[in-house]
Amino acid sequence: MSSRTHILLVEDNPADADLARDTLMRSNANIDVSVAKDGIEALDFLHGDGSWSKPGRPTLIVLDLNLPRKDGRQVLAVLKSHDLLRQIPVVILSSSDSDKDITSCYQLGANCYITKPEDLTSYREILDSLQDFWLHKVKLPRRDGHSIASGIGYGM
Amino acid sequence: MNDVSYSNDMVLLAVEACPNGMIMTDPNGTIVLVNAEVERLFGYTRAELLGSSIDMLVPPVIKAGHHEHRARFAAQPETRRMGAGRDLYGARKDGAQIPIEIGLNPIRTREGTMVLSSVVDISERKKVMQALAEQREELQRSNADLEQFAYVVSHDLREPLRMVATYSELLAERYENKLDDSADQYIHYVIDGAKRMQQLVRDLLAYSRIRSQAIVAEMIDAGAVVRIALDNLRVAIAESHAEVACDPLPSIRADESQLGQVFQNLIGNALKFRAERPPRIRIGAQPRNGKCEFHVEDNGIGLEKQYEERVFQMFQRLHERGRYEGNGIGLAIAKKIVERHGGRIWFESEVGKGTTFFFTMPSA
Repeated sequence: MSSRTHILLVEDNPADADLARDTLMRSNANIDVSVAKDGIEALDFLHGDGSWSKPGRPTLIVLDLNLPRKDGRQVLAVLKSHDLLRQIPVVILSSSDSDKDITSCYQLGANCYITKPEDLTSYREILDSLQDFWLHKVKLPRRDGHSIASGIGYGM
Repeated sequence: MNDVSYSNDMVLLAVEACPNGMIMTDPNGTIVLVNAEVERLFGYTRAELLGSSIDMLVPPVIKAGHHEHRARFAAQPETRRMGAGRDLYGARKDGAQIPIEIGLNPIRTREGTMVLSSVVDISERKKVMQALAEQREELQRSNADLEQFAYVVSHDLREPLRMVATYSELLAERYENKLDDSADQYIHYVIDGAKRMQQLVRDLLAYSRIRSQAIVAEMIDAGAVVRIALDNLRVAIAESHAEVACDPLPSIRADESQLGQVFQNLIGNALKFRAERPPRIRIGAQPRNGKCEFHVEDNGIGLEKQYEERVFQMFQRLHERGRYEGNGIGLAIAKKIVERHGGRIWFESEVGKGTTFFFTMPSA
């Protein structure tokens, strides 16, 4: 039984995925980050479909909106209409700051919406405060299911 | 020749030579007088016209209604000026229809009320107007296309730019002092370029968004709008030890956030382009030709008249980079907002003494 936190990052752009993972892991050694590079991969992992024998239960999901195959809004809609998966907080991390995207994400049940900052300093600040809030400040429900996700997406 | 017949002759000559077509009809609508222009316009000879019904000159599709029009006019005859905003057509002998403008004058005689119609061929005018309308439409379309293009480009550029900016910063952080001096320098050139481009793209987006946003014009208190703008600028005001005075301002009909942006950009410029002395800024307004004319006056470095055009253009800077921040978008945005409200923006300035920007907005 591991007490490590596990973040599922759904992001199609490898440069963005690297940046997010490096930034998250830089300030917290007790964290695993796995990356799904599109909506299908993310949902397979969470449902335990495809190559997974058991559904994955990350502590937190960080979701980009514009993804190939199944985009972020569709993933969000599936997550938030699923009895168990809806318990996992979903943070939208998108480059869009349009009112339309922001509203529709909260409408679908996103737990918070963040616009990707354009410079490194603000990017780190926002990811640090995100971690501090969701992983330390708030109480989350107990998780069942595996939370180790090596072998999905880009791996480590 | 006596005086009466002489003046009768003159009148007939005048009617005959009139550049408008002149047609007189009797109470039954029978043509009793035409001039040369009518023959030319409709292609009938005078002999064909005289004694015939005026209906022969009316296009078949409106002939039925024309009777009623005539009856109504006969019941309440009054002078009707040319072209009261209606598209009228006349029928030529060859069947062609020509766009015309008609003026009607009732003339009371012993034989009843005659009608003198004055007819002008407006084909040329119509052609010109149509060409103008088409041109205007085309211009509006290409303007809208351009703005849509600017919006899409600036929006889509942000994503890859963010990559360049953050990764060049990461490179600098990890490898600074580990490569040689020129490598460090090059990395900083990349960072600097990326940051400048990000700012340009942000400005371009802000500019192109003005049009995509609908104007929400409501009666708003301009004084309150200025107070918000000043509050947004409080850091810059404190840093420059500026003294800002605002006269009582009226309520006007405008988009609140856009008017706020105009004031913020103008006051921001007054703070930015200050002289050695602490800035003194005065904001006021006065009614002018049914509009409200605002002004923002400063005691800054001033602006030469020759730059009148350039200062309002996008990305035009009058000073070298590094001396003053910004991309020169503030006045372009202000101008665009003012013009979208149907106003005008300009400035008066004396180099070394200060500048006053003026702009007009609808009062109500």
